[in-house]
Amino acid sequence: MNMQANTATQTRQPDADPSTLDQFANELNKVRERTMKKVGKADAKYIRTLIRIQRLSDISGRILMVLGFIHPAYWVVGVIALATAKILDNMEIGHNVLHGQYDWMNDPNINSRKFEWDNAGDSASWKRYHNHEHHTYTNIIGKDRDFGYGLLRLSSDTRWKPKNLWQFFTYIALCLNFQWGIAYHEVAGERIFMGKRKKTSNLPITREQLKYAFFNKAARQLFKDYVFFPLICFPVFFQVLAGNFLANMIRDIWTNTIIFCGHFTENIHTFKASECENESQGQWYHRQILGSSNLEGGRLFHIMTGHLSCQMEHHLFPDVPARHYPEMAKEVRAICGKYNIPYNSAGFFKQYFSVVKRILHYSFPDKQSTPVQPA
Amino acid sequence: MQSSTMGKRNKAWQWFIGSLTNHNSLAEYFEPLIQWVVPGWRTDLVRTRVHGIRHENKDMFSLILKPSRQWEGFQAGQYIELTVEKDGAWVSRFFSVSSSPTYFQRTGLIELSIRIQEKGNITPWLINALHRGSIVNLSQAMGEFTLPTQQQSICMIAGGSGITPFRSMLQQLSLSQAHNPQQSITLLYYARSAQHFLFKDEFKNFEKSHPNFHLKLMDSETVGNVSSAHIGLQNQLSANTHFYICGPSPMIMLTRRILESLNTKPDHIHYEFFGPEPLSLELESENTAVLFDRSHKQVENNNNQTLLELAESNAIKPVSGCRIGVCHQCICQKKSGVVYNTKTKTYSDTGAQEIQLCISVPVNDVVLDL
Repeated sequence: MNMQANTATQTRQPDADPSTLDQFANELNKVRERTMKKVGKADAKYIRTLIRIQRLSDISGRILMVLGFIHPAYWVVGVIALATAKILDNMEIGHNVLHGQYDWMNDPNINSRKFEWDNAGDSASWKRYHNHEHHTYTNIIGKDRDFGYGLLRLSSDTRWKPKNLWQFFTYIALCLNFQWGIAYHEVAGERIFMGKRKKTSNLPITREQLKYAFFNKAARQLFKDYVFFPLICFPVFFQVLAGNFLANMIRDIWTNTIIFCGHFTENIHTFKASECENESQGQWYHRQILGSSNLEGGRLFHIMTGHLSCQMEHHLFPDVPARHYPEMAKEVRAICGKYNIPYNSAGFFKQYFSVVKRILHYSFPDKQSTPVQPA
Repeated sequence: MQSSTMGKRNKAWQWFIGSLTNHNSLAEYFEPLIQWVVPGWRTDLVRTRVHGIRHENKDMFSLILKPSRQWEGFQAGQYIELTVEKDGAWVSRFFSVSSSPTYFQRTGLIELSIRIQEKGNITPWLINALHRGSIVNLSQAMGEFTLPTQQQSICMIAGGSGITPFRSMLQQLSLSQAHNPQQSITLLYYARSAQHFLFKDEFKNFEKSHPNFHLKLMDSETVGNVSSAHIGLQNQLSANTHFYICGPSPMIMLTRRILESLNTKPDHIHYEFFGPEPLSLELESENTAVLFDRSHKQVENNNNQTLLELAESNAIKPVSGCRIGVCHQCICQKKSGVVYNTKTKTYSDTGAQEIQLCISVPVNDVVLDL
């Protein structure tokens, strides 16, 4: 077993026969049922508390940044507070609310239909490609464009091109500007500005509406962080501008890193569209587990990642309130053990290191092509 | 001209607030913080304290409420939406105000008379969960089913808890002493049994002091449902009589049909359902139906199609995605009715809720905001 073989794309194990996977699905469904019975008052209280913390850190961050003229430490704390607010808003609150995890609350402001988050991406656009494309077709090459975002080559399924040679730098650029990657993702997929228009499109709105939503949301975010707040704090214009820029960047780096650790670690599997036709629920669950990986850490770490540290549980149960994932993970891990299904979970640094390795590995053409044939 | 510049200014303000807060208003952005200090506070509703609960009989109770100043009052016969937090979720139900505006002016109190639905999710819970001092939320009053003052001859037909708007109207006449003595009012009040008549003494007292008011208590155990004979027997009624009907929907449908057969003019028939526009009454078959409210389309639900399939086969194209209940793109507001969730294998509540169209099968009449 050398590293080389490990990183190579693996297809679904041939021994995962349908009836075993049905039992596997049954057990996972029971975990879901047991958890959903617990969902209620405590979850409502939890998400409201988090929104309060987010609001307080948003407001105090913006104020502290201005006070930077008294002592630079205020500015530093302000930037961190604002970055924290944005991370909480985008991950533990926004991402999870937009998955419909809190729709049962019937709250007019905490539901997937209405929520809008504090980043450049229009949340409706994100819901279309992320909740649908990425969560339904997870790691199916050609269908889940989240796999490499059309920028990075992350498995042998994609043909090597010379641009992949410098894809590590492409990755760094994406990481630093991740919110723009999210904002542009659907616009790129529909080839709104560039490229040949696709023959078929499932876009439920017109291309003009998509374009408008893209520019409108981007303008709102730019106006807020780079025009309005710097201007009303005019004497410290550049101080606020730079602070907002940095806070956005910290959020971008963090979210990007966490998300890459969830899908592009070493032992991640990819799938061919043909393998996934007419999948049973068990096969679907199986693919979600093989296509995701977890990060281990404490409660605060889980919250700051929006519980995407439990990426496998999130992919199995995207609409279960995420604060239950760490508990569910114990059961899911035991069930995977029972069915001999690999459960990819490790500490942050180990997983992140393997992501970097994968990006670098696929920068170069495959040395000898040994495609693993599906059974 | 004026209004278009106003509209533009409003739009710019909305955009500005949206960019700063990602919410429609500053109040929405601050709502979670305000709720910290004032639990249960909502930007869109009137926070209201429960003043008391009065048990009317075995399966009815009246909730006595003291709305805060933001509540703009009501007309006799109007209804409100009551919203309460249950296990972390907001649940809502529509109720007629059963007390009068004059009583509200004098005491600051209103009453909602609520029937406990035996198998309901909300009403049996409400009576145990609420007590003096509890917090509930109210909408402003709505509805066109209000006390008529111009008409000379009126016949009110109430079924069960449908008595509530009429109680409000009669109490209003009694307290405000504004009753036009020329106006003749007949109340045909149907209840399941002799024990189920609410506010009986009040109505009897009103009858004593108002010679032009005629009370007919119709005990369904002995006289049965509404019939043309019941209406025909009231000799104070004339071709100019206006009919006001409130009760369960089958009773309203039946009464409407009877009145039509008695050649009552359609504009003399007034009726009230609670909450959103009900399904059209013209439906002949036994099947349940789905009303797509915004598309103004009502379709019969004859095979176990999901709401998404039903919408699509009727040329309504809601946004949808994965079609297996994962992506939450087809989320839609159900205004009323019960749906079965094929993914969680559970039945929904009857009130307003967010549902996923692709995994929801209608169980009874469903109204969708689509």
